[in-house]
Amino acid sequence: MATRRGFLAGLASLSLPGIGWADVGSPAWLTAGRAGEDYVLHGLGPAGESLFAIPLPARGHAAAAHPSRAEAVAFARRPGTFALVIDCFTGALRHRLTPPGGRQFNGHGAFSADGALLMTSEVVAEGSQGRIGLWETEGYTRIGEWGSGGIGPHDMKRLADGRLVVANGGIETDPADRSKLNIDRMRPNLALLSPGGEVLEIAELEPALHQNSIRHLALVGGGVGFAMQWEGDPAEPVPLLGLWTPGGAPILCPPAPEDAFTMQGYAGSIAASGGRVAISSPRGGAVMVFSDQGAPLATLRRADICGLAPLGTDFAASDGGGGLWRIAGDELIPLRHAPVAWDNHMVPVG
Amino acid sequence: MRLTLALALCAAPAFADTREAVEEVILPGYARFTAAADALAEAAAQSCEAEALRPAFHEALDAWLGVSFLHFGPAEDKGRALAIWFWPDPKGLGAKAQRALLTGDPARLEPEDFRDQSVAARGLSGLERLLWPQDLPADPCPLIRATAADLARLAQEIEAGWQGDAGFAATLLTAGEAGNTRYLSPAEARQAVFTQMMAGLEFIADQRLGRPLGDEKPRPERAEAKASARSQRNVAVNLQGLRRLAAALLPEAEATLAAFDRAIAHGGKLKDPVFAGVADPAKHAEIALLRQYVKAIRAAAMAEMAPALGVGIGFNAQDGD
Repeated sequence: MATRRGFLAGLASLSLPGIGWADVGSPAWLTAGRAGEDYVLHGLGPAGESLFAIPLPARGHAAAAHPSRAEAVAFARRPGTFALVIDCFTGALRHRLTPPGGRQFNGHGAFSADGALLMTSEVVAEGSQGRIGLWETEGYTRIGEWGSGGIGPHDMKRLADGRLVVANGGIETDPADRSKLNIDRMRPNLALLSPGGEVLEIAELEPALHQNSIRHLALVGGGVGFAMQWEGDPAEPVPLLGLWTPGGAPILCPPAPEDAFTMQGYAGSIAASGGRVAISSPRGGAVMVFSDQGAPLATLRRADICGLAPLGTDFAASDGGGGLWRIAGDELIPLRHAPVAWDNHMVPVG
Repeated sequence: MRLTLALALCAAPAFADTREAVEEVILPGYARFTAAADALAEAAAQSCEAEALRPAFHEALDAWLGVSFLHFGPAEDKGRALAIWFWPDPKGLGAKAQRALLTGDPARLEPEDFRDQSVAARGLSGLERLLWPQDLPADPCPLIRATAADLARLAQEIEAGWQGDAGFAATLLTAGEAGNTRYLSPAEARQAVFTQMMAGLEFIADQRLGRPLGDEKPRPERAEAKASARSQRNVAVNLQGLRRLAAALLPEAEATLAAFDRAIAHGGKLKDPVFAGVADPAKHAEIALLRQYVKAIRAAAMAEMAPALGVGIGFNAQDGD
């Protein structure tokens, strides 16, 4: 243990101060993937070129990019027991974050605007009550936690004014094997937290949609777009996209009728760009683009597509077959193809 | 251009498996469906008598179930597959929309309007409700004719969408060539076809069999195509179609094809057209066994066909997070 701690301390002392994202090639996105049997975190340029690739010890889920320092936090798939703070200049592991006893990371995190605070979505292992873990970012020590306002928080997004929206997916999972324990009585919500962690507002879906797990978020206008995963009868056509501006009720955005089942009840990622919102379904092999008012505009097909991020006023997308794409109108335009199975999310940098 | 395509196909022995699936199973399957849908529309134009139209309905649904598991290309575009056979429909959306059509403005039955009506109301699932009617609020004849004509149009559009240089057959068979942005390599095209087969098997296990078998208790009322007494036949015909696809993709897939044969043979022994037996514990076990056998086909295909074809199940599609 002493040796290990010494090793980590040694790595940390090697990292150079003042290294920003421009020093690592100004990546547009961070995205995790699998190359052969190895897991990696790539920094990708806007043309899909890899600017750096850093090995990960296990399959990643999402990452969070520090707003100024070339530093990424890579989260393991939920429920996770570690998150890695990675120096994207040297590739060195700076810190390994471990949640306190009885807590598990739940896949996502966000930095405060000044980069001084890292917030991590977590659950209390027994019962999946949500927490937002708080870490200062000089030495990445745990400094506290907030209630997330629900069960099973997943993604979170910071609004421009510093308030935080948390997607509480509502699903209680077995701490050991991810099996879902409360599907019949789950109640997902969107929680708005003050910059100090006080729950200001909770928005829920209508009761008939209580099995629509709210999982991923994108900033849309003064609020969020939210992507859902349906845990109910797959034969029921349900909306998988919603829009929520705090102070109002969530607005649901059903797909065009002929696309009622295209996504197979599953939206894996969401992004907003150019006055539009896109959601992806690797199960359905499709991306759906909506207006930022929720009107369906286009459906694009590509097997195992999942990662989504803004690209100018268009979108970028990634898939498990190694494809990186630009979505322009109703067309998928190839950016690049790499021997990497891209994981669920593309995380914008900066 | 057609010549160019033909040469490209000849020069690509490395993906004969996709080509065999397309040329020996998919295209003939859609051709059979078009012919059956045409015959049904013609018969409906002659007579609206339910009894007289049922044989043509059965032939059309048999033909559809030979290809219904193909959820890519023209069948998925514009929701055509949904409009042809909308099942399961737990909220009864089809019946509701159809009642509105029966009692509404007859102009909505004109082809140009009818094609824009709810996918739940149209197609063979719509015709089944009209040919095995339960207290219809109006004379169904105009709706039968409109639905049958629309079905024939859908079939023709799907078949046409597979043809020609810009057709979906060419998309699959030119995988990896410049300009093909849908499939970046022959392996991706192979993977797409294989994925259709696996999803089709899953649909039989989880929906066609799983819905009546029930999670906590048997749900005989949830069986597919109860009105036309075809629940078991749908499984049988669907499995035959999937077996043809497997055999075209990999003729030497002995374990997979044997697993198909075991499931098909067991299904044939059930003699339970609407799976009413799910309510009887002994018969429930027999139908549950059929579901096990269908799942075993998937397992065999995953173990045997996936490595031989160099394909798998999607990295993200199977993950969920």
